[in-house]
Amino acid sequence: MAACLIPGLIMFILFKLYPAMQVFYKSFFLWTGIGDKPKFIGLKNFVDMFHDDVFLLALRNTGFLIVVVPVFTLLIALVNASILTRTKLKEKGIYRTLFFFPSILSFVVIAILWSFIYHPTIGFLNSGMELLGLGEYAMAWLGDSRTVLWALAVTLIWQAAGYYMVIYMAGIDSISPDLYEAAGIDGATPFKQFIHITIPMLWEIIRITIIFSINGVLTISFVIVTIMTAGGPDRHSEVVMTYLYQQAFTNSNFGYAMAIGVFVFVFSVILSLISNKLTERGVS
Amino acid sequence: MKWHKILSAVSACALSVSLLAGCGNSSSSDSGSTDAAGTNDGGSKKVANGELNIAVFQGGYGREYWDQISDEFMKDHPGTKINITASPKIAELVRPKIVAGNPPDLMYIAGGDNLPILDGLIKDKALTDLSDIFNTDEGSGALKDKMLPGVLESRSMAPYGDGKIYLAPFNFGVLGLWYNKTLFDQKSIQTPKTWDELFAMNATAKDNGRALFTYQGLYPGYLDEVIIPSIYDLGGQKALDQFFDYDPEFWKSDVFKQVWGNIQKFANEDNGLMKGTVALNHTQAQTSFMQGKAMFIPNGTWFEDEMKDAPREEGFQFGFLGIPSFNSGSSVKAMSQIEQIVIPAKAKNPELAAEFLKYIYTDKSIKLNAEKSKAVMAVKDAADLAKPFISETTYNVYKAVDNGMELVNGTFKTVAKGSRYSPKDEVYKTISSLMNKQMTLDQYSDKMYKMYSEVSKELKDSAE
Repeated sequence: MAACLIPGLIMFILFKLYPAMQVFYKSFFLWTGIGDKPKFIGLKNFVDMFHDDVFLLALRNTGFLIVVVPVFTLLIALVNASILTRTKLKEKGIYRTLFFFPSILSFVVIAILWSFIYHPTIGFLNSGMELLGLGEYAMAWLGDSRTVLWALAVTLIWQAAGYYMVIYMAGIDSISPDLYEAAGIDGATPFKQFIHITIPMLWEIIRITIIFSINGVLTISFVIVTIMTAGGPDRHSEVVMTYLYQQAFTNSNFGYAMAIGVFVFVFSVILSLISNKLTERGVS
Repeated sequence: MKWHKILSAVSACALSVSLLAGCGNSSSSDSGSTDAAGTNDGGSKKVANGELNIAVFQGGYGREYWDQISDEFMKDHPGTKINITASPKIAELVRPKIVAGNPPDLMYIAGGDNLPILDGLIKDKALTDLSDIFNTDEGSGALKDKMLPGVLESRSMAPYGDGKIYLAPFNFGVLGLWYNKTLFDQKSIQTPKTWDELFAMNATAKDNGRALFTYQGLYPGYLDEVIIPSIYDLGGQKALDQFFDYDPEFWKSDVFKQVWGNIQKFANEDNGLMKGTVALNHTQAQTSFMQGKAMFIPNGTWFEDEMKDAPREEGFQFGFLGIPSFNSGSSVKAMSQIEQIVIPAKAKNPELAAEFLKYIYTDKSIKLNAEKSKAVMAVKDAADLAKPFISETTYNVYKAVDNGMELVNGTFKTVAKGSRYSPKDEVYKTISSLMNKQMTLDQYSDKMYKMYSEVSKELKDSAE
């Protein structure tokens, strides 16, 4: 009955739609976000954005993560899912749980955990490298502008790969085993089966997970960066979301922050559309 | 089945209506009660009756002081009622109220996450002028004479440079370099008085298996504790004003070259900067220091309490050095940091808030604050009043100030509204690149010169 939707609809309008509209509206104003009257300044916030070196750097860093993280996450998830479902591993259940584990940890816990893994002196990574005789390559991973983004990317991939793996596993389980059996009889190697059966049959799921993963990076990177690097060293790991937060809440530049928010919104919609277009195929 | 559907529809509607009604009700009753309080104020002049809503930061000092001082105040002022909101994230709690035009009557805002809201209020000119409270003599001398010298005149309290006080000082901390006192005593190492002496200790540091220096790498803002006193040491108030008021020429001055050159020296000298410092957060860096991985680290008087559960090398004892000077003739310096209390311009009950603020500065309150919060207020002789309650280390730091350690303080001028720059971030965050040797001093100064030119231009434009 339609009436049952009303409370939900009201809440949706009140807590989702209205604030979202406000973001768009407030992005045209000069406003500290505290007590003053917002002053209309048209598109100035948007123009400023593209003269702001820090914003452009943050955008570049975000772009790096948006490209690197989904690619590796989904690739690893796909390969793992395929191995776990297609082989007769006895420990299948354990691996599935283990790989999925990071997805149920809070982002804050993950960030703290990894900042200790990367700890320059007592960290697991550097100590491990020293043990293997690679001590000369050990470095302050989060403190060096050349490595910091990769280090963060690894954390993000680790966090998400298990989640997508489980999605893919469910997908693979629904592929008819006959296909694999027939391919096997025809002499197709497991690798060929992966390329020609698994990936095409999962294609629609993969398309969706690409978009999920891109949006996941946008939101999760905020927590990970805030805790692990605070945007450092010297803004080399600043992402748009952390910069938005800084402008809104530490620089009292709310209108500008909202403009960044609008930009991120448009940016991710366009990215999703592009990804959707690129991965489009005829019905198989 | 049908009945069931109708029932659920009715209940759904009822729920949504009650939701809306709930919103409407609460806001209207709110304004009603405050209105009543407002009219009450007008009636009685002496003791402003009514309700006082205060919002306080609940950090390392806790909230016990505020609970008790409010009780005392209500006892001494019958008919008043104080409601306290306390939280470590107090800014997040009060922000919606301020936006809605219904701020608390008095706010004690401290802690790095919360302070930006004060900057916002300053930008908005949304604070009450408190000058009268400090200037009025009610028989026992004006309140301003009770404060530590120089505090009320500083930009932290008088942000617009017109001498009017908009922020009231509360607890104060002393910030500078720290060392392990036990190590220095046992090996009879002399504490350095000048930078030359400090850098000469690098060999001693190495002999004792530690680097000379570390800092809170992810948050290079901590380096202001070294930089600000150093600027003052070399160039006096004039250079400090240049630095805080965005005079681009500061970045071409000798003062800049020497102070930042010093910071860079830590990175350039062998064993100067603890390995991996740039990648450490404050807790990690401070723990490393206490475990004997570095000889010196900047931090404030809260250090001992902040790290009370952290592992440390055997016999570790906190020792406060301050900031060495450049010339052997001048005194050791330290930075002071003073917490602030404000009354928002839109406060519903400013008279009572002012009354309460005065009450905070009574001797009774200062003692209570020391006892409950283990903190020292920015008033004369507060350290001695607090002595029975604070640790010896902390007391000695405050005493050192009385014995000739010079305190330096300063705040960046508030940037123009809508400016995308946060000069503090720009100045300090960029230091990471210096420390990583990915930027030269000249590149740094060029970048800052450009930033200062733009910020001061924005300020000029917005003033017109």
